[in-house]
Amino acid sequence: MSEPANNPAPTPPAAAPAPAPAAKPAAAVSRGDFLWMGWSALAAFFAASAAAGARFMFPNVIYEPSQKFNAGSAKGYDIGVSTKWLNEQRLWIIRNPTGFYALWARCTHLGCTPNWWGDQNRFKCPCHGSNYTIEGDVIAGPAPRPLWRAKVELSPLGDLIVDKSVLEDMPGKRELKPFFVDYVSA
Amino acid sequence: MPTLDIEKIKKDVIDSQLWRSVFRGGVWKDTPRDRSAHIIGNVWLHLHPVKVRPRALSWLYTWGMGGISFVLYLLLTLTGVALMFYYRPTVGLAYRDIKDLEFAITLGKLLRNSHRWAAQAMVVSVIAHMVSVFLRGGYKKPREFNWSIGVLLLTLTLFLSFTGYLLPWDQLAIWAVTVGTNMAGATPFLGNEGPFGGVMGMHINNDVRFTLLGGTMVGENTLLRFYVLHCVAVPLVVGILLILHFWRIRKDSFSAAPYQANEEKVDVWPHLVKREYIGAAGTTLFILVWSILMNAPLESVANPNVTPNPSKAPWYFVGLQELLVYFDPWIAGVLLPGLIIVGLMAIPYIDTNPKGVGTYAWKDRKFANTMFLLGIAMWFILIYIGYACRGPNYAFYPPWQSWFILKAAPPPTWNVFGPLAGTTPFTIGMAFQIISAKMTALPAGVVPNLFPMWLGIPLIGGLFGASMLLPKLIQKELDGKLVLGGFLGAVALVAGIAAALGKVGPVSGAFMLFFGGLAFYFGFILPQRYIRTLDWPRYLVTMGLVVCTMAILLKMCCRLTFNIKYVLTIPAISLNI
Repeated sequence: MSEPANNPAPTPPAAAPAPAPAAKPAAAVSRGDFLWMGWSALAAFFAASAAAGARFMFPNVIYEPSQKFNAGSAKGYDIGVSTKWLNEQRLWIIRNPTGFYALWARCTHLGCTPNWWGDQNRFKCPCHGSNYTIEGDVIAGPAPRPLWRAKVELSPLGDLIVDKSVLEDMPGKRELKPFFVDYVSA
Repeated sequence: MPTLDIEKIKKDVIDSQLWRSVFRGGVWKDTPRDRSAHIIGNVWLHLHPVKVRPRALSWLYTWGMGGISFVLYLLLTLTGVALMFYYRPTVGLAYRDIKDLEFAITLGKLLRNSHRWAAQAMVVSVIAHMVSVFLRGGYKKPREFNWSIGVLLLTLTLFLSFTGYLLPWDQLAIWAVTVGTNMAGATPFLGNEGPFGGVMGMHINNDVRFTLLGGTMVGENTLLRFYVLHCVAVPLVVGILLILHFWRIRKDSFSAAPYQANEEKVDVWPHLVKREYIGAAGTTLFILVWSILMNAPLESVANPNVTPNPSKAPWYFVGLQELLVYFDPWIAGVLLPGLIIVGLMAIPYIDTNPKGVGTYAWKDRKFANTMFLLGIAMWFILIYIGYACRGPNYAFYPPWQSWFILKAAPPPTWNVFGPLAGTTPFTIGMAFQIISAKMTALPAGVVPNLFPMWLGIPLIGGLFGASMLLPKLIQKELDGKLVLGGFLGAVALVAGIAAALGKVGPVSGAFMLFFGGLAFYFGFILPQRYIRTLDWPRYLVTMGLVVCTMAILLKMCCRLTFNIKYVLTIPAISLNI
């Protein structure tokens, strides 16, 4: 160690504010410890600044459109895939003989909107070629999981109320309420 | 009639207090002293040395691509600042402002075209600069660090181009950026759809994609963020790195080639500066003519709900988009770009071959040049396929084929280790659900694993490890032609038997021979011949990169030949390989 001569003899570093040894009134903190504290404080400051800067980039309030909407009277839908809401709400309403479910039109690969090809009975994504069945299951292409189904309910007036913020894709669960509306036309 | 003494007027002007206060130095006599003073005494030129080796002047040697990239950066700054006067980055106004620039503002169209084409040209020139520096061994000691800064500058050039892509707020923009930023959502640990993302508690509104977008979808916040990144934040970082880049060129001296006996340096003024001005003028003229002849594309206004069909990334990312067909997003969108950047930066530290410094030396650097050019070729071939051969629904259309021909639906795919594709993956969460609900059978549509994934992990790991180690463990150099011939013969035999059994068609057999042969030649024969004597750390890093490159080819072959979707899938942690 090349400490200056007027420093006290090396003391255990842990005892920073130790009681002064004897004759000379030694510094409460040795030069080495002081430097350590200084650099550590500076490093801590930069680390905290970086963390604060990162946190700053997460908005607390976002002004995005509501994910819940009224899809109109259930009577208005025929059996099959309805693309009526694709342009405005990015969603297909699908009616089968026993009821309704709603598929969120977002490819689970990288988020493009697939198109419905009725003649081939499948959804096809234009970005990387993923294909889905009418159930939303992947049958070709790179998509890693099925299409999401949105929560859908029947209002007392007979309208379909869809909420895209509540999603489910697990078979066995997605076919049950609230992701399916039992509806047999009169 | 008094005569006009031009020489006297010139002398009076130069000797005036005003002139002397602005320009340092006296009357120009074109002495060596004047020439050096012109470089040293000028703030804009002083990053140059006073003298330079004659070989550094030759266009054939430098390709001039570094300088042209810098000129394009300056042109982009100028045109970009001009465009900022008329552009407002909000969802309601951005597209209209671009339309105004096109149709209502004097010279607006020319400025936008210039900005667009200069950006595309800069991507090309920066890549060409990298290729030329590689081929002439310009990154070798002591220039390793400057090469790494160059790789960062290349990355930032692409990022600048990508952030600028969103600003017109048309369909082209929003969907390229949607796909690009969704890849961030596939980042391991930090993205809500990436491997281990769920384990880390990532959701759509707290992951790395959320910060990039400033929301859960490409919207108002995203446009503003990309605007600030594009116009202020990234150019500042690029500027800082450029200063560092230029300073190191100067400090490490131009041209790395060993000195010849009678080599004499020449004055930078006028020899080098003249060439720089010619390059700048030529580049500006090129961009100007291109911008007059061709308009920048602008599609209909962005609609976050409807995707154009087909939808493609900017051309320089189309190669990655093409890989996204074969790979899970976390590999094609995060792992591979990361490996490319890190791998490029590592090149000077793993290539310690003392030969070929500062010269185009094909014979002395066969392995390095072959591998680098293979990577560049793959990048551009994938771009060509994605850009020219992909039509509606991203189906394969040869360039001459009409997009109105409807393609048959792609065949179903399957996984080797893990659940069958085409059905819902069997997850741990589902197992809990089945236990808690006391269900006796699996839900409809769920197929249990064909091969258990615990078998896949050691098998794939072992294969990867063996490919890495084998070339070094065989001490004696193998006869390349014989081994390759034997390998191709074996593949042909397997393909032939499979074809006889009706499992493989002739096209699939050709794919097997092509991809298998490529991977075997570049991933085994060449490393065995050239780098088996490299020290272990450098050998392992090099082989890691080589085997990853070959794995891309083999995975493509698996998909094209056997319709394999993933070799290994672990749905519980969203890990697909």
